[in-house]
Amino acid sequence: MHFAPLPYLDPGSGSFLIQLLIAALLGLGVAVRASWSRIKGWFGIKPKAADDEDDEPEDK
Amino acid sequence: MTNPKTNSGQLSASFRDPSGFLFSRDGILYRQVNHKYEQEYGRLMESGLYDKLVKAGLLIPHIEADQPGAESAAAYKIIQPERVPFISYPYEWSFGQLKDAALATLSIQRRALKAGMSLKDASAYNIQFVRGKATLIDTLSFEVYKEGQPWVAYRQFCQHFLAPLALMALRDVRLNQLLRVYIDGVPLDLASELLPSRTRLNFGLLTHIHLHASAQKRYSGADVKSRTGTMNKQAMTGLLESLDSTVRKLNWNPGGTEWGNYYDITNYSDAAFEHKKQLVGEWAGRVKPALVWDLGANNGVFSRVAGEAGGYVVSSDVDPTAVEQNYRQMKGEKTENLLPLLLDLTNPSPSIGWANLERDAFHGRGPANMVLALALVHHLAISNNVPLPQLADFLAKWGKWLVIEFVPKSDSQVQKLLVSREDIFPTYTREGFESAFKQQFTIHEAVNVHESERVLYLMESS
Repeated sequence: MHFAPLPYLDPGSGSFLIQLLIAALLGLGVAVRASWSRIKGWFGIKPKAADDEDDEPEDK
Repeated sequence: MTNPKTNSGQLSASFRDPSGFLFSRDGILYRQVNHKYEQEYGRLMESGLYDKLVKAGLLIPHIEADQPGAESAAAYKIIQPERVPFISYPYEWSFGQLKDAALATLSIQRRALKAGMSLKDASAYNIQFVRGKATLIDTLSFEVYKEGQPWVAYRQFCQHFLAPLALMALRDVRLNQLLRVYIDGVPLDLASELLPSRTRLNFGLLTHIHLHASAQKRYSGADVKSRTGTMNKQAMTGLLESLDSTVRKLNWNPGGTEWGNYYDITNYSDAAFEHKKQLVGEWAGRVKPALVWDLGANNGVFSRVAGEAGGYVVSSDVDPTAVEQNYRQMKGEKTENLLPLLLDLTNPSPSIGWANLERDAFHGRGPANMVLALALVHHLAISNNVPLPQLADFLAKWGKWLVIEFVPKSDSQVQKLLVSREDIFPTYTREGFESAFKQQFTIHEAVNVHESERVLYLMESS
C-alpha cells in the first residue's frame, strides 16, 4: 500500500481515468470559450458577467 | 450531542483523516490539527480562503484554542469550531437540501482552486445546515492544489451527491434512502442501472454516472499512479462547471402526495387552527426550550410558532413533499433557527457506519428540551398499532417537555384510519391516553381546542 503523496481516500482507478478523459474534453470547451471571448474582446464586446466566485449570486 | 467517544475523547465519526480529528473536552467540541497538516492549514488561513468562505457562509468559523491536544505528540494546533446546532445526515434531507449541499461543495472547490487549494474529500457528511445554509464543517478538507492533479474527490462527489440527486429527480424521490444503506454514497453501477435509459442522452449524466460506472468496472485495480500530473487547470474548471450544470438541471417539484395539501384537507376550522397556534406559542414562550423537535411537522407551521421563543427547531416529517415545502419556505424567509428533516418515526434513523458508531441514531442526537407531537398520536397508536404506554415511554426519552395533541376516536381523521380495519383499540380514549402518559409525565395543561374534539396537553417528563 502506498500512502504519501497519494490521497488518503482512494479516488478509484476507473474514476481517475474517466475523470482525465472527461476533463480533457471539457477543458477544451473552456479553452474555446476563453478564446472566443478574447476574439469578441477585439471587437469591443465585453463578457456578460465578471467570472468571480466571490460575486456568485445566492442560490435560489 | 452525544456522539460516542473513544477513551481520549476522540469522536468516533472522526477517524479516517490523518490530518486531524474531533474530540470533546468538558462539553466543548475541538478539532486537533496534526503536524502533518501544518502547511495546508497555514495556506487555508493565510491565503484569505478561510475568510472568504466563512463570509459566504460556506465554511464553519473557528477560533484557535489554547488547549493541549487529545493526542499531543501529533498536535500542531487545536481549534474550536462553532457548534452546529443539530447534526443531520443526507438520508434525512429533502431533495432541495441535498442539491444545495452539492452546489455548496462545488462552490467551495471553485473558490479553493483560486486560492491554490483543492477539496480532498466531497463527503455529504461534511456538510451541515448552519443558519439555514449548507456549510462545510470539516476545516481540514483542503489540500494544496498542484496544477495537473485531478480532483481526488470526484468519485466521492458523484456517489454522495450526483447519483442520489439524479435518482431522486428522475426515478423516485424516495431513493435518497439508499444513502442510509450505502454510507459512502450510492454505488455508481447501481445508480446507472436504476436510472431511466433516457438519462444516457444527458451529457452530464452519461459521463459522470454511466461512463464513470463502466470505467470503474473496466479499470478496477489498474495502476494509475503514473498518470498523475496530466489534468491542467482548464480541464479541472471544465469538470467542475459540468458537475455544477448537471446538478443545477436536476429538479424535483413536490407534487400532491399523501400530506402535500394536508392543511387544506384537515377537518378542523380556522378557529381551531389559530387556537392551536396560540397554545403552542404560549407554552414554548413559557418553557423557552433551546432545542425543539417537532415530530410529524408537516410543512412546519407549528415549528415556526415554537421557534419564535428563540430555540432551534428540528422540523421533521415522513413525507418528502412536506419536507421540501418546509425547506423552500425556510430558505425564502431566511429562517435561521429551523431545520426541516425527513424522518419516519416508525423507523427513525439508526446509528450506522463503522462499529455502528459513525453516524448517530436520531435519538442519540438528543434529547430535545421540548417535543411537539401534534396530530400525530392517532397515526402511531392506530395506524402503527403502538400501545399508548409504549408511546409515552418513547416520547419521554426524546424530550423533557411535551406538547401533545390527543385526537379522539370520534374525530373524522381517526375514523378514516379505522375504516378498513377492526377497531382493536379499546383504551384509545381520553382517559386511557391520560392514564398511559401519567406514568411518564406530569400533565401541566390540558386544553380543549376550540371548535374541535381534540385536546392539547403540556406535559413534563417526571
